[in-house]
Amino acid sequence: MSAGAWAVVAAVAVTAVVAVLLRWREGRVRVGGSSGPELPEAVRAALDPGAAVTLVQLSTTFCAPCRHTRVLLSDLAGRVAGLRHVELDVTNQPEVATRLGVLRTPTTLALDASGAEVLRVGGVPKRDVLLEALRPHLPHTNG
Amino acid sequence: MPKDVPVDPRGPRFSAWITSAVLAAVLLTGSWRLLAAQAVLFGLCAFISLKLNPWGHLYRYAVQPRVKPTAEREEPAPLRFAQGVGFVFALVGTIGYATGLTALGVVATSAALAAALLNAAVGLCLGCEVFLLLRRRVPSLARPQ
Repeated sequence: MSAGAWAVVAAVAVTAVVAVLLRWREGRVRVGGSSGPELPEAVRAALDPGAAVTLVQLSTTFCAPCRHTRVLLSDLAGRVAGLRHVELDVTNQPEVATRLGVLRTPTTLALDASGAEVLRVGGVPKRDVLLEALRPHLPHTNG
Repeated sequence: MPKDVPVDPRGPRFSAWITSAVLAAVLLTGSWRLLAAQAVLFGLCAFISLKLNPWGHLYRYAVQPRVKPTAEREEPAPLRFAQGVGFVFALVGTIGYATGLTALGVVATSAALAAALLNAAVGLCLGCEVFLLLRRRVPSLARPQ
């Protein structure tokens, strides 16, 4: 095979590897992250102190997965006691995303009533996986 | 710069498949002329208007009427920036192939091919991501409101 043909094969292989990695990361729940010592004011304001867990969804305009995530999370928050969902458009306030270490939208932060980060999800969350991970932080009623 | 309107995101992915085919053909044939043509196309889209992309027109006339309508729209600015990145890679590759620095041509073209394939197959536009990261740091790139 010529060098050019090998290069085509290599490019296809790189694409396949990246595709697999992205699929693996999409919607994964990540625990142990920290939103930093101080939440950005916009996030702090979005927090519902009456809820055990607030899902703060960071979105941007022209972001199709953000819409899918909004539908999923607002439905979830409507069904699960102690869970709230708020969406924060960071299109024109990228410094909020930067301070939270968020590089893509949608990213959803699950914050407890004090504002501490419980977990975060990049991309469209997987409903069951997210609910399972949130359960220890929610009042024990339904879900 | 002429105003580009938000686009159906499936259009750029359709274009990316054709771009991938062109770049693969360049690698298989080593034709600097074909790569130069691709560089011109990237340049037209990046520096003048996305409307000059013939594959976009092909998408609108041949594909869009046959697929489900979507309300999803993509911002044009990152797309144009990405075309500009493609232009640089295609230009470097053309220079490589045309001057006998074949290795340079192969490296630049295969990098562009990987980026085009990622866009086509996965929907990940690397150039757009770079643009979005840059926009955080360079306020003048921010969308005029």
